[in-house]
Amino acid sequence: MLAYIARRLWQIIPTMLGVILLIFFLFSVVGGDPAYLLAGKISNPEQIANIRKQLGIDEPYWMQLLIFIKQVVTFDFGSSWSTNEVVSQIFATRLPASLMIGIPLLILETIIAITIALAVAYVRGSFTDRAAMVTCTMAQSVSILVYIIVFQYVLAYKWGLFPVQGWGNGFFENLFKFAALPILIALVVSLAPNIRLYRTFLLDEVNQDYVRTARAKGLSENRVMFVHVLRNASIPIITNLMIQLPGLLVGLFLIERFFSVPGIGREVILAVERSDFPVIKAVTVYVALATMLANLAADLLYKAVDPRVELK
Amino acid sequence: MANWPLTRELRRGLATCLIGAVGLSGLVGLSGCGDASKKDGVSAGVTAVSPVKSPDGKKVVRLNFPVAESGFDPVTAHDLYSSIVIDGIFDTILTYDYLAQPAKLVPKIATEMPLVEDNGQLWTIKLKKGVYFAPHEVFGSNKRELTSKDVAYSFKRHYDDSLKPVWRFLTDGKIVGLNAWYDAGKKAGKLDWDAPVEGLQLVDPYTIKIVLTKPDYNFGYVLAHVAMSVVAREVVEKYPNDVLSHPVGSSAYYLKEWVRGQRIILEKNPNWRGGTWDFKPSGKDAYDEVIVKAMHGKPLAQIDRVEIYPIEEEQSRWLAFKNKQLDVLNMPSSFIKQALPNGKMSPELAAEGVRVQRLLDTEYTYTYFQWNDPIWGGNELHKVALRRAVAMAINREEEIEIIRKGNAVRAEFLVPPGVAGHKAEFTSSITYNPPLANALLDKFGYKKGADGFRNTPDGKPFTFKYTSTPTAIEREFDELYTKNLGALGIRYEAEKEKFADSIKREKRCQITTRGAAWIADYPDGDNFMQLLYSKNIGESNNGCYKSATFDALYEKSAQLPDGPERDKLYMEMQKQFEADTPWALGVTRYRNQMVHPWVVGYKKHPILLSEWMYFDVNMEKGK
Repeated sequence: MLAYIARRLWQIIPTMLGVILLIFFLFSVVGGDPAYLLAGKISNPEQIANIRKQLGIDEPYWMQLLIFIKQVVTFDFGSSWSTNEVVSQIFATRLPASLMIGIPLLILETIIAITIALAVAYVRGSFTDRAAMVTCTMAQSVSILVYIIVFQYVLAYKWGLFPVQGWGNGFFENLFKFAALPILIALVVSLAPNIRLYRTFLLDEVNQDYVRTARAKGLSENRVMFVHVLRNASIPIITNLMIQLPGLLVGLFLIERFFSVPGIGREVILAVERSDFPVIKAVTVYVALATMLANLAADLLYKAVDPRVELK
Repeated sequence: MANWPLTRELRRGLATCLIGAVGLSGLVGLSGCGDASKKDGVSAGVTAVSPVKSPDGKKVVRLNFPVAESGFDPVTAHDLYSSIVIDGIFDTILTYDYLAQPAKLVPKIATEMPLVEDNGQLWTIKLKKGVYFAPHEVFGSNKRELTSKDVAYSFKRHYDDSLKPVWRFLTDGKIVGLNAWYDAGKKAGKLDWDAPVEGLQLVDPYTIKIVLTKPDYNFGYVLAHVAMSVVAREVVEKYPNDVLSHPVGSSAYYLKEWVRGQRIILEKNPNWRGGTWDFKPSGKDAYDEVIVKAMHGKPLAQIDRVEIYPIEEEQSRWLAFKNKQLDVLNMPSSFIKQALPNGKMSPELAAEGVRVQRLLDTEYTYTYFQWNDPIWGGNELHKVALRRAVAMAINREEEIEIIRKGNAVRAEFLVPPGVAGHKAEFTSSITYNPPLANALLDKFGYKKGADGFRNTPDGKPFTFKYTSTPTAIEREFDELYTKNLGALGIRYEAEKEKFADSIKREKRCQITTRGAAWIADYPDGDNFMQLLYSKNIGESNNGCYKSATFDALYEKSAQLPDGPERDKLYMEMQKQFEADTPWALGVTRYRNQMVHPWVVGYKKHPILLSEWMYFDVNMEKGK
């Protein structure tokens, strides 16, 4: 197992190198020149040249690439070109707000989606199953923007159930007061596709011979569904969950903007609007790294839930 | 929801508990339940339901920015919203009269208006005594007084390349010896901050003489510009790379708390010098009388705390204002028709006593034609006819009604309303007239081909290639222009790219046509006329227009103060502009400031960035 983990970690290096090259090409070679934005309303070529020098983008590409590799290795991406804030500080201060929405959301959506998927899989083909699937399809067809606008207007403004927007100071205040509506909206949006997906995974298992055998042995339906079926369906479910994990690092762009949540998603949008490459590069590298680590974690979890899986 | 039996707070509490109980009971207890309404207060985001009074009894005003700020260094701030905060924290030598229309310069830390001598080249400024910077550890326990040395240092900072200064153009080449001082520093590899500059003469701690390289009667506007705010050298040297996070000024407010992108809290500067509210009604706005009656004789800076929250989305801002979580709001355009149906306040808002101040911004939009383009640019008559035909075919009324939602007026003159040199009675000779535009093209040989589109007089096909960003509003313009130019038989091509890329190409005269806007840096016509001066190609003349006649008129006008002589030159420049038609002038947009009834004496100034020290909040009305 340890050898497997070491091998997988070792494989991260060439993959990361590919990611670095891709990011560098996209932002430093193809991307726009931020000096023109930072120069203000009226600037002359000399001032623009000075800004390019200060930012280090007047260096040859190979030198810029080396600097970028050094930044990735040391996890020191310097400072934002726009606000001068240290990039690591941006992550340290914005990530907690994103995680405060993302983690409860991931837990809630997983528990609720699996529970409902199990229920509808159990009554597959029935009116309830069909009604649930039609509802999910309809819910999926509506843009997240519509959910945000309607929920913010009705639940927060009209009914006063939640704050319209904002963010406070305390952990509990933020979690229970300001994050509540964003979590609810994200939950409503994410439940429909997840229920459909998990139902499919579960139905694949419900029709297997071992389920018939379990029932023939006289096991209760609860045991059949929650122990036998769910355990065997857990591998694709884990895969789906692990795919979602790196997304926690980039937050929920639209929700953070609408509810003024000072999270990393809002910061990423700002960075894109300002051509703030140090921030964008750092986010991209972190997400790539998190994806690779999540994949490794998924493989390890496969082994944990199904001993038949061999890690080679 | 009048029939809902629960109070708003109780409902919010229940919802909070429900979410908490369902989703998070495994992570944390339910200790947060029940305190949602209790914690409603200014310290907890934009959630105060009891406006204007903070828990500690201070008068508070809550405002918002539609875009997050970047930082508060006067030299480097390149966004409007950071500049607003800078204006509240730092002092400039001059400022603007709160009510005067058009905008009028008045002293801020000067004892009186500068003495202008030597044909506008020598400016003598006397500073007030007793102007102190806000307390900071670098000053120790002593109060630090602002002196002429600080003014000179602050001017010089615009030449520190390591800061990436963005406002150098305000003084570049204008002050005797300043550029030479910069060149010497650049050569030596280090700027000598203590070296004297001939044009910045420190007569005594409270007097500075500024010598200009050429006559400039408009230099007062530079002295009032937020970028020329006065900083303390000790603070800059304490935070050499991060002054934008540590702004220490001498104006009415200091930065109490800053959570980037979330909230900016300013409180009254303990060392604030004070002053008395003493402005006269402009005579052009009846509401000025109400303001004067409410504020006259009061000490300046009635508000103890200013809270600013960046809220990017229009619906969020609008609902926060309606929910009484913001006291003043620049009305988002998406909700204009809802708030101001037919230009009047909606009954719902009127019943709550909400007031609207509608003013034209000191700006306009325009569509430029690339002067170097072989089809669109140049002096040949057929090219002038082509540009003019397009200018006559763009339906600005439709733009105002549909795209701007009735929230703009057609721009007629090169100097917009509210700016010295504007001609209110002037009507442009280039009006919306598609039949005439078609006739003009026919006359100059732009014949239609078999495909129904026009070709150049030498029979080659051409397009109106319009560069813009891939945004919703630009797509609306694409539709409008496709329709308007289609009526002329001109092919329309939308070229989409990032704003930074457009600016880069624009400075190299590589964009065929693009829509642009210019908002006044200072309220003088010169700030707009310079957009067409050929020596500003690569800087602010984004269409790369070249006209020897216009240049000569501009150079003459730049040496004159606002007055009939300059107005005459401006009229000639307008005529030359219309004759050449290097741009199609667009619109000037309205700003609609919505104000809750407890905000007293508030008026959005067209140029002044932060009006906080000039208005008040009525704590009784706000309860």
